Amino acid sequence: MSKNYDAVIVGGGVIGAIVAKILSENGKNVLVLEAGVEGAMDPANYQKYVQTLYTEGGIRGMPNGPYPWNASAPSPAIPLMPSGTTPYYAYQTQTHFMSDYLRMLGGTTLHWQGTSMRLVPNDFKMQTVYKQGIDWPISYDDLEPAYRRAEFELGVSADVEDQQQLEFAGWYPDGYVYPMHKLPPSQVDLFFKKALHNRTVNLQGKTYPLKVVGIPVARNSTPNKKYNGNEGYKPVSAKGNLDQGLRCQGNSSCMPICPVQAKYSALRTINELMQKGKVEIRTQSVASKLIIDTTTGRISEIEYKRYDKPGSTDFKLEKVKGTLIVLAANAIENATLLLASGAARSSDQVGRNLMDHPYLYAWGYSSKRVYPFRGPDTTSGMESLRDGAFRKVHASFRASLSNWGWSGEPGNQISAMLSQRKFGTELRNTLADRMTRMVKIGFMFEQLPLQQNYVTIDNDHKDALGNFRPLFYYQYDNYSLKGIEEAIYNVWEAITGYAGIENHTSYPPSVTGGTQSILYNNRNYNIMGSGHIVGTHRMGSHRKDSVTNSHMKCWDHSNLYVVGAGNQVTIGTANPTLTAAALAVRAAEAMLKDLL
Amino acid sequence: MSSTKNDKHLEAGVKKLRKWLQGAIEVEHCTIPPYFTAWLSIIDGSNQEASDIIKSVMLEEMLHLTLAANLLNAVGGHPDLIHPKFIPRYPTTLPHSGRHFPIRIERFSKKALETFKKIERPEAKGAKPKAGEFKTIDQFYAAVGQLMDDLCDQYGEDRVFTGDRQLQIQPEDYYGSGDLVVVIGRDTAHQAISTIVDQGEGADHGIFDDDHNIFGDGGGKELAHYYRFNEIYEGRHYKKNDTPNSKPSGKPFHVDYKKVYPIKTDIDRRKYPKGSEIRKALDEFASCYGELIRALHHAFNNDRSQMTAAMARMFSLRNQAVALMRTPIGNSGENLGLDFTQQA
Repeated sequence: MSKNYDAVIVGGGVIGAIVAKILSENGKNVLVLEAGVEGAMDPANYQKYVQTLYTEGGIRGMPNGPYPWNASAPSPAIPLMPSGTTPYYAYQTQTHFMSDYLRMLGGTTLHWQGTSMRLVPNDFKMQTVYKQGIDWPISYDDLEPAYRRAEFELGVSADVEDQQQLEFAGWYPDGYVYPMHKLPPSQVDLFFKKALHNRTVNLQGKTYPLKVVGIPVARNSTPNKKYNGNEGYKPVSAKGNLDQGLRCQGNSSCMPICPVQAKYSALRTINELMQKGKVEIRTQSVASKLIIDTTTGRISEIEYKRYDKPGSTDFKLEKVKGTLIVLAANAIENATLLLASGAARSSDQVGRNLMDHPYLYAWGYSSKRVYPFRGPDTTSGMESLRDGAFRKVHASFRASLSNWGWSGEPGNQISAMLSQRKFGTELRNTLADRMTRMVKIGFMFEQLPLQQNYVTIDNDHKDALGNFRPLFYYQYDNYSLKGIEEAIYNVWEAITGYAGIENHTSYPPSVTGGTQSILYNNRNYNIMGSGHIVGTHRMGSHRKDSVTNSHMKCWDHSNLYVVGAGNQVTIGTANPTLTAAALAVRAAEAMLKDLL
Repeated sequence: MSSTKNDKHLEAGVKKLRKWLQGAIEVEHCTIPPYFTAWLSIIDGSNQEASDIIKSVMLEEMLHLTLAANLLNAVGGHPDLIHPKFIPRYPTTLPHSGRHFPIRIERFSKKALETFKKIERPEAKGAKPKAGEFKTIDQFYAAVGQLMDDLCDQYGEDRVFTGDRQLQIQPEDYYGSGDLVVVIGRDTAHQAISTIVDQGEGADHGIFDDDHNIFGDGGGKELAHYYRFNEIYEGRHYKKNDTPNSKPSGKPFHVDYKKVYPIKTDIDRRKYPKGSEIRKALDEFASCYGELIRALHHAFNNDRSQMTAAMARMFSLRNQAVALMRTPIGNSGENLGLDFTQQA
């Protein structure tokens, strides 16, 4: 009865879409199983989510804010979840894993920021260079061509010269340019750039510059005529509206969802696949088990639960065969599916080495007006501390300059002032003075791959369809926490001094949702997740200490690929989507060889 | 012919070509204020299809305006967007055409759509224009192309396309619907012309323009302008095999003419006393529009980077327009409309 596909891909997000694109371009039959609903793929729904973001004040800035709860394929941190519902994540440790993802066609690129920087070469050899973590089985140079293809698929805007200002940055081939020019810097960016020009900080006895450079982002901007040997690049417009999204138009409401789709989401790639009609996409189909042929070790079939109505507990159990099976369902879902299937057991590494970028804000009033609340949330970063000898001792970090002032503004300011009975002109003038001087930096830190940070499953934690919910053991180790201490009490203090910023950063022990309070060296820090979920099925050189080989093929099952940020061996300080996309390109190339 | 006579003939021909292309810029521009007004009079969150369709046509008119400017610059002309009559006072009629129906600045309605359809109406192929007047954009551009070809054949391309190439608006200066063609000679000029004609009237007089293969089935951008407006008028998308003579037979969609700001048609700001709130708001809008058009004039004549300034003005213009349209005029039951005209 069932057709045999060249590849069955689990997950309709950016990774699944890129793999499907490369395979189908080469004439392969591909089926994509997506656990969630078609959702944002329908332009009317997309608009509805944008509207929800505008009208439901409480969900602003929350990654899954505008998206509906779906008990049949739940996502973590859905604020619009009906009260009384059990949330998707379960925890065994007091410290929580704070990062989430979205299960819907298009995946987590429906709420990402679009930041698309490459890892730096030393991120691939942390053990050799800094005696921390472990080395990757591949080098930066091995992945470089795939980075270029990923930058094309996502449509990245940046100037190479900016990136090459960082001495440790990886090489780009001579004459390489990004598909589109960088987005223009904001007033906030220019303020910091000027204030920190030629300024330095000392970390572990060495001096480092505080360099502000443009961030590569997957947002449409002015195409670079020189791209691809002067062929140029054509920005891709919004799904369902060819007049929209051809340029970032500076909306300052683009997190989590860009109102005009100038920011890349996997909807673009999936739409392209649908237009070409070469890939079959089956939504509301939750992969629940890989059936392993015990004699060959191959995955003979994949079992999935197909539900008609989102939220229902009813489903039909169906099976499908693929010459190759590709898990591309996010680092958490890939791991829990492997665990649920008793697959990939040789290394005992499935679900382990769970990493994220612990994230902290620091904020204050700048000495002069910088006019925040304009443009996308972040266009430049302080990137010069992403690598250095200090990594022998503590985490590296990068700092995103926020274009959106402090969080929760102007609401917080207004209510504070009203409670002090300040009205009229005084209220207006004070607001005008303060709001225009608000600066905020988001620091994000690397984490080491640790055996004791992991996601697992157990029979007590299941969802409405009887699938396993992720269960977390997670903590921050001293390597990251020491980095945090340096960032806040050394680097941020230096920045406030150089830039004349009135520091208002404080981390009270009682915190609200989205952050957790961690004590380190007698000081409190309020830490958030970054949504950068990495490491749970790492690649390696040996079946004993890794889940896949360097082409993301599972050591234990010769027709199973497990692809995504979960393959990352270390996290470095790059937002992981671009690297995951590059890994998907690399994996797809290996799959094509298997399918010859 | 003697060489002076030759030169004179060439000179006269190029002069005519430039005059026509200046006319083309004026025709393309004339449609933008009414489309802009109808588009923004739709209350946000309603009539999504209608709103997207009108916007898509408007954006293509902006592209056509820019293409016409590139054409004029290519033949050594100087686009003039700042002469006092460039922005007409509405109601007006299509300039340089034999069609004399009124074009108004009015809210989105069936009546407005009827006008829009008239503006974009294709003519049967071969319909003969009267001297100096063209019934359709198609005829007009066919005449432009013919004249251009004749001059090139007689005197050589180099003597016709004498414009400064630095003045050509480049794709990176411009974003929006379709491809911006940089005009450097006869071939690119024809390319620019067919972009305008195909989007406006449909390739080879079908309902679809030339791009339709890359777009989804039915509806939306691939249709020539007339048919796009007709989709709204009929509340139904076209399907692939529909013909110019058939009604659209694809997916129906809801059009709610009540979800529209009740703006005053052809509001004339001169009728409101100077210094009054209404006058100030209308003046501010007109002045923003004037600045936008001036930025375009400079972009076409000496400084391409002014395109960016023009883009920024378009965004503020949109916000100002919506604010005006939300403002009731006393208890009249009508809201403020838009006055684009510069003469106060």
